[in-house]
Amino acid sequence: MIEILMILLAPVLGGLIYGLERVIKARMQNRQGPPILQPFYDMFKFFIKESFIVNRLHIVLGLLHFITLWVVIGYIIMGGSLLYAIFLHLLSSVFIIFAGFSVRSVYSHIGANRELLSIVAYEPIFILMAVAFYIQNGSFDISAIRSSEPQLLSLGLVFIAFLFTIPLKLKKSPFDANEAHQEIVGGVEIEYSGVFYEIIYTAKWLEYVFVYLVLMLFAGNNFILATFLATVVFVLINLIDNATVRLNISDMIKINLAVGLLLCSINIIALLIAFYPSV
Amino acid sequence: MTAVISLIGVPLFIAMMIGFLDRQVRDLVAIVSIIALSTLAICISYHQMYISFELSSMIKGLFTVIDIALLLFFLWVGLRDKQRLVSGLAIAQLLLFIYMLFIAPHGGADDIMVDQLSSMMYLIINIVGGAIVIYALGYIESEDFSTAKKNRFIATLILFLGVMNLVVSTNNIEIFFLAFELTTLSSYLLIGYRQDEISIANSLKALWMNQVGGVAILIALIASIHLYDTIYFDELITNASGYMLLPIIFLIFAAFVKGASFPFQDWLLGAMVAPTPVSAILHSATMVKIAPYLILKLAPSFSLFVSSLVALFGGFVFMVASLMALNRDFFKEILALSTVALLALMMALAALGSEKATMAAMILIFFHAISKALLFLQAGTLEKIYHAKYISDMNSLVDVAPKSIFFILVGFASLTLPPFGAFIAKFMAFEAVSESMLINPMMLFVLIFMILGGIALVILYFKVASKLLAIDMSRKSKDEHLPLLYYAPSLLLFTLLVGSVYSIYEHLGAIESLLAMIVILLLPILSKLNMGKTKMIKEYNCGEADRFEISIYYFDLKWQNRLIYGALIFWVLLLVGGVL
Repeated sequence: MIEILMILLAPVLGGLIYGLERVIKARMQNRQGPPILQPFYDMFKFFIKESFIVNRLHIVLGLLHFITLWVVIGYIIMGGSLLYAIFLHLLSSVFIIFAGFSVRSVYSHIGANRELLSIVAYEPIFILMAVAFYIQNGSFDISAIRSSEPQLLSLGLVFIAFLFTIPLKLKKSPFDANEAHQEIVGGVEIEYSGVFYEIIYTAKWLEYVFVYLVLMLFAGNNFILATFLATVVFVLINLIDNATVRLNISDMIKINLAVGLLLCSINIIALLIAFYPSV
Repeated sequence: MTAVISLIGVPLFIAMMIGFLDRQVRDLVAIVSIIALSTLAICISYHQMYISFELSSMIKGLFTVIDIALLLFFLWVGLRDKQRLVSGLAIAQLLLFIYMLFIAPHGGADDIMVDQLSSMMYLIINIVGGAIVIYALGYIESEDFSTAKKNRFIATLILFLGVMNLVVSTNNIEIFFLAFELTTLSSYLLIGYRQDEISIANSLKALWMNQVGGVAILIALIASIHLYDTIYFDELITNASGYMLLPIIFLIFAAFVKGASFPFQDWLLGAMVAPTPVSAILHSATMVKIAPYLILKLAPSFSLFVSSLVALFGGFVFMVASLMALNRDFFKEILALSTVALLALMMALAALGSEKATMAAMILIFFHAISKALLFLQAGTLEKIYHAKYISDMNSLVDVAPKSIFFILVGFASLTLPPFGAFIAKFMAFEAVSESMLINPMMLFVLIFMILGGIALVILYFKVASKLLAIDMSRKSKDEHLPLLYYAPSLLLFTLLVGSVYSIYEHLGAIESLLAMIVILLLPILSKLNMGKTKMIKEYNCGEADRFEISIYYFDLKWQNRLIYGALIFWVLLLVGGVL
């Protein structure tokens, strides 16, 4: 029951995280910042605004992006296979990329292309992370991972590699080249307006939920540790966002791939060595 | 027994007859016979008939005669076109073959043996191959050739179906060699079909490279007679033990040649000059599938050394070929390189030998055949109707050719994303490799190769989408009218792909298949949705009125050639390991 409630409330939760983030970020810059419910005020405003559409496919693909992300989150909450969740998430990213390609707009195309390239940066890390969980637990099942002991120590390096992908997924400095507000004005979002823009926007909130849900897997069955982890990472990500400048897309991919593949491989080899005597 | 014989015999008969028919009758005969063959294939796999029987010595004698005639033909081709390589290899094959005939034991084992793997291959050959032949009926009419030459084209394609059915049903390595060489022959004839300079050059290249594979099979055969006194696959596989894997190694080599793995990838890339149905049927959907088929068949006899080496090499080729495809512009070449890559992946999975990996390899073979066939048919349609061969020419084709573009995108998506068949294979492959990593840590490299290659394929496929998708609302898009012979086979293949959602249910679970279904059903439902009074506008584009041109990025792989020749190290290692 609580799971279903959580799934239904996932966008609201994401909105709250986003609102909180804006406050935290503002406080770090010595500003007052908007109220925590600001994202929802924005939402109501978007609903009463007139919406324009460029073409139907564009809108449908945007909607599908949102729905698929929600499905992924539901699937993770219900405790399915982590690997399958990662691939469903890829599907949702492909929808938004197609949406970006489906309009004749330069910024939208650049954004979609960058979005596509950024998949190269995070997808390998995600899959290696799932494999590391598999070696540790003997299963890809999220429910199995959640009911085991915290794995923060044994998967420490994988955790660090995952931390690197968070700014990329949430479009935060230094890895926010695929959105890059000042340069390519939001990339794939640019051609959406009104209620349809709100849908894309809410999908971004869902990305927050997705990232933090995966993050909490590292804490296993220890809920307090999970909350603690999420809080620390949340503050850390915002601190880094405030303190760093944007890297260009190729540096972003290089850094993520080099760091991620190296750390994950070392961690997996260590896990395998630890696994051997027991065979 | 009758079923198997008719699968092999009927195409032979139709192919001979078809030369004498005029167009309507020819089309009708071809379509009816393909429907019959497909039904037969479905029956065999549905009833899980495992058939095995011995052929009479007269038929075997006939096969030997055909074999020698074929090798003499290759020799003649080599002499005619002054290709020392071709004639030299033909002489080598002749000598080896005659030597083999002298020492071959006269065994009484089953020559034909149909198991689960064969019946799955029947499905691919007859349904997917058949759909392509039907497409070819329409396609060839748009070429400028005489009727006799057109009929010969169709006849060769149908004959080829019979040959392929023979390849996957035989248990006798000698007959396998014959069938292997016959596929080489059809490859040679069909690549050179246009008879212009480049076609002839490429067909000769394909000929000698595949002949190398033939020589390898003969060496394997002779080694098998010396070491194990048998010419049958099943006896060889049960007897082959750790130290005497020489015949197995050479068969693996032959498989990699057919699968166009490094350093033999050139023949498959060159094969793209042929008419598109040829590329579809031979060089991606059916013929090259001999490679993973053979590895799957041999896998039970692999030692740990051989299986890890083949898996590593397969993974390596998968990654490098996928990366190489990123700098290509010719649409068919992109498809060809991704075929090379995926074939290598199939072979890697087949070599792992665990139950899950084998299953993954089989699913991948099956759905890769469907997806690639679908993609190649669209490549042909784009080329014939819209005159677009290169992806840089394919700007906004979605306006004029929505159906073809839809099929292309589905074809791409089906190779990489849930909820389609090839994705399930990829998913199971990750699971299988993770499992085997617990036994053999070297598999970590296979895993990393697989991940990077897989990502390269994702960006390869979807960067093509950037060219195709941009919809121009100001252009009045008309309804696209495709000729029935173009449209129907694509629709059939598409239906098969959508049907693959069932295999998610079978292999991954009910919830997974349901989720995938929801997402996929939403696309048509949402596009029918009434948007009410929402206003259509032109793109905002930040208020800028630039001319809109789509450009596409390419990725140049440095050290490409070095990587390809690095593959030779693998073969030396494998050979040394096999001899030891």
